Amino acid sequence: MMVAATERRRQVLMAGLGTALILVMGTVLFFGFRLATQMRTSISALQTASTLQTYPETIAQQLNSLRDRLEVRAYSGQALSELQTSVKHVDTNLRQLEATGDADGPQLNRARLLWRQYQPVLDPVVSFTGQPYVDSDTAGSSLSSEGRRHYAEVKRAQLFANENARPLQTHLAALATALQHTSSDAAARLRTLLLAGVFAALVLAVAAGYFQLTRARHERAAREAQDQTRYILKSVREGFFLLDADHRIGSVWSEALSHMFSRNDFAGLSFEDLLKDLVPTATLTTAAKYVKLLWGQRAHENLMKSINPLGQLEITRDNGHGSKETRYLQFDFHRVMAAEGIKHVLCSVSDITASVLLARELQDSQDNANAQLDMMLGMMHVDPLQLTSFLDTTETSIKLVNTILREPARNDAEFRKKLAGLFRELHSIKGEASALNLSSVASRVHVMEDMVSECKKRPELSGNDFLPLVLKLDELLAHLRSVREMAARLSVLKDGAPTPPAAAGAAGGPARAAGALDELSPTLQSMAARLAQDHHKQFRLSVAGLADVPAPYATTIKDCLIQMLRNAAVHGIEAPDVRRNLAKQDAGAVNVEFRKTPGGYELVFEDDGAGITPQNLKAAAVRKRLVTEEAAQRMDTRAAMALIFAPGFSTQEGVSMDAGRGVGMDVVARSVANLGGKIGVSTHPGKFTRFRVVLPGVDADSAAVA
Amino acid sequence: MSANLKPNTKKSFKLMIVDDSNIMRRRIERSQQFEELQLVGTAGNGLEALELFKKTDPDVVTMDLTMPQMDGIECIGRLVTLKPAVRILVISALADKATAVEAMEKGANGFLNKPFTDRQLNEAIAELLC
Amino acid sequence: MLYEQELKTFVDATTNFFSVAAQEPASIGSPYLMEGAPSVHEYTGIISISGKREGVVYFTAPKAMLTVMLMKMQENDFSHETMRDLVGEVANTISGNARRDFSREFVISVPSVLSGEKPDVPQHAGRRSFIIPINWRSHSAKLVVSLS
Repeated sequence: MMVAATERRRQVLMAGLGTALILVMGTVLFFGFRLATQMRTSISALQTASTLQTYPETIAQQLNSLRDRLEVRAYSGQALSELQTSVKHVDTNLRQLEATGDADGPQLNRARLLWRQYQPVLDPVVSFTGQPYVDSDTAGSSLSSEGRRHYAEVKRAQLFANENARPLQTHLAALATALQHTSSDAAARLRTLLLAGVFAALVLAVAAGYFQLTRARHERAAREAQDQTRYILKSVREGFFLLDADHRIGSVWSEALSHMFSRNDFAGLSFEDLLKDLVPTATLTTAAKYVKLLWGQRAHENLMKSINPLGQLEITRDNGHGSKETRYLQFDFHRVMAAEGIKHVLCSVSDITASVLLARELQDSQDNANAQLDMMLGMMHVDPLQLTSFLDTTETSIKLVNTILREPARNDAEFRKKLAGLFRELHSIKGEASALNLSSVASRVHVMEDMVSECKKRPELSGNDFLPLVLKLDELLAHLRSVREMAARLSVLKDGAPTPPAAAGAAGGPARAAGALDELSPTLQSMAARLAQDHHKQFRLSVAGLADVPAPYATTIKDCLIQMLRNAAVHGIEAPDVRRNLAKQDAGAVNVEFRKTPGGYELVFEDDGAGITPQNLKAAAVRKRLVTEEAAQRMDTRAAMALIFAPGFSTQEGVSMDAGRGVGMDVVARSVANLGGKIGVSTHPGKFTRFRVVLPGVDADSAAVA
Repeated sequence: MSANLKPNTKKSFKLMIVDDSNIMRRRIERSQQFEELQLVGTAGNGLEALELFKKTDPDVVTMDLTMPQMDGIECIGRLVTLKPAVRILVISALADKATAVEAMEKGANGFLNKPFTDRQLNEAIAELLC
Repeated sequence: MLYEQELKTFVDATTNFFSVAAQEPASIGSPYLMEGAPSVHEYTGIISISGKREGVVYFTAPKAMLTVMLMKMQENDFSHETMRDLVGEVANTISGNARRDFSREFVISVPSVLSGEKPDVPQHAGRRSFIIPINWRSHSAKLVVSLS
């Protein structure tokens, strides 16, 4: 805009200079022509006047000559004729001078006045046409009467002419001098005029030159600015263009726009046509409406910005190889205001595909991880039963995690209290998953474990910090479900038999039909067989009453049994050679019985193994640094036995798949406590260990716990 | 703040509040601090609003969008046809841009998202009145 | 599988309602999962979602909490209808924000309000729900996100 104004000012100036030059030239030419004309007439008048100067004398002489001839009766015709010519000449020339304005002054007047006195005297002489002589033989030639009169007139004229020749000549000389002045004045004026004209032209030329120079400088600056603009438009990564009131794109746009829209014909293109074929009709309609609104004065800039529907526009276009490609563009609009209102709308477009896709990828990575499951499972050769028992334990752990989460919390301390328990449960799942090479599970739990560790570091905990954890927990449950389904399929493949019971209850939910644990017996039997094999033990498992387990307890009972069976197989039952030395049968006995009691239900789990000694428990607890040596020594038998249910306790070194992570009984005990039940243990060293789980009558209300 | 935004205008505007929630209607009525606004009526849906509009001829309308019996968008269109100079502030929980554009296109003059603070409400009304 | 952003939209819409409308921020309690039908309080504002995800999202609050909220909102009508209006507005806000963030993928219903002891909350058998306790002053409400 500024450039345009400067340009206009310069144009006006140049036009002014041109006009001035024309005026100067015109003036010089006009007056020069006039002066020249005047000079020419003055000069010719001067010549006339100069010539005329000699005539008074000539006329006087001619009259003298005429009188002489008349006196000697000589031929006078010739002299008269010469006089007539002279008189006529003076007459004519005086009239001519009269007509020339320059000569028409007092000098001419004086000459004319005098000449007019000549005329009455000269007229009779020059108008004489008769015969002056009469020829007679006697007297010879004599003057005729006409001749006598003529002679008298000549004599008078001669006298007059001789007398006045001088004055007339003086007058004419004065006239010549005056004319001389006039013409030299005109010459001087013409010279001045020419000088002035040349000077003015010079000034104008210099001015024009100066403006031309500055103009060139401005043009250079403008060109540079233009170059810079072009450079910016060429290299800027956003697409820029202006929209006019008809929603058409202006003639200038940044090159990025060409890449974004794969076209170059933007000038004059309507905004709607720009987006047509790239977006769905509904989006196009909204976009068109929005752009129209931008032109209304009604809405404020901020409001318009806040309702911009093109902040993340998904466009689909041909990528030039015959397939479609999706890009995400962000449109921003700025109204360009002028005095009379909105002049243009500046639109900037950025391609935000990368950031949108990145965000998508982060989300999709979860789904992808799931998709890889099939392959992973196909590659590994996990015993389906082992897998099932892992899944059961893990589910129990997850339930515990959820139970910990579910405890209401309002402040940092309450939230922080949850962390230790959460970490323990997660860590145990991870350990078991790793032991089974179930990396898809282990990595998920690992992420959750990290989240918990992160939480520990935070200065102030709130529910927000736990939201990602719950999401991951949900995802883990879903994943485990897929694993379970996969396991079911795998076992079908392996056995060619129908889905095993644990897999059938894949949903893992508590709202399972009563008597579901009917099907647990075979699972437990297979698990016992596997455990025996893994740990080089021999034992028989007898199970009774599981069909009576009420639905709300099914999961907990199952968890208890799995955990206790593991403990028995790992810690309780001795190796066959040990048993032989102790005069026991090579094969140990594990008895499970569930029954209804007057007050509720009871589960008894008993093995005829090594039993548990308080000393062993204390030693292990001290080794695990759960208690100090002194505290351990002070413990009575009861307190020592309670160590079995302490978090983080393990009586066996190292980590094996089935036990040794030391959370087993802890998990079971909490799970029982959650149902309002109790768990107790009695043991006789070298003889048996017996767990008793007592549960209250079924309370339908507890069904909702996941 | 409203006093600053609207100096020396003692002109009065008739206000109509349209929202299907009673609390919202009362909230808007209570929170707006413009002396020049005179509440002439409240309506709980588009049809009611239309009837009331014809009767009371308001200058300023606050309009909910999701309502039973003629939604806000349609109602805006009708009101603007009846009285092009009417100023309409949409107050809605609908936070998507397409809805806002649609409402503005139909003739609304402002858009306020629920929930809102008193300050936000008054700023939105001030913008509407100037 | 619910994305974090999705859950955040629902949670933020809810807490935002408290800070803006009731002029006192709410805090999020310890979130957890639940299978089967979670219990609800006296008033429940519910939106249903279909499309990429199917299910319901609802805000359920006890009468005592709503009463205090209304007081904070300088409301002096504590009728049953007003309570319903209030949970309806919360659900409305959740619905509006969800439309803003996910209208591309979801179809989101207009909110409806349930009240009473055992209202008929639409359930999907075997679906896990996210329960996010919303603590405000001494009261606690629940945001339940039950989507597949």
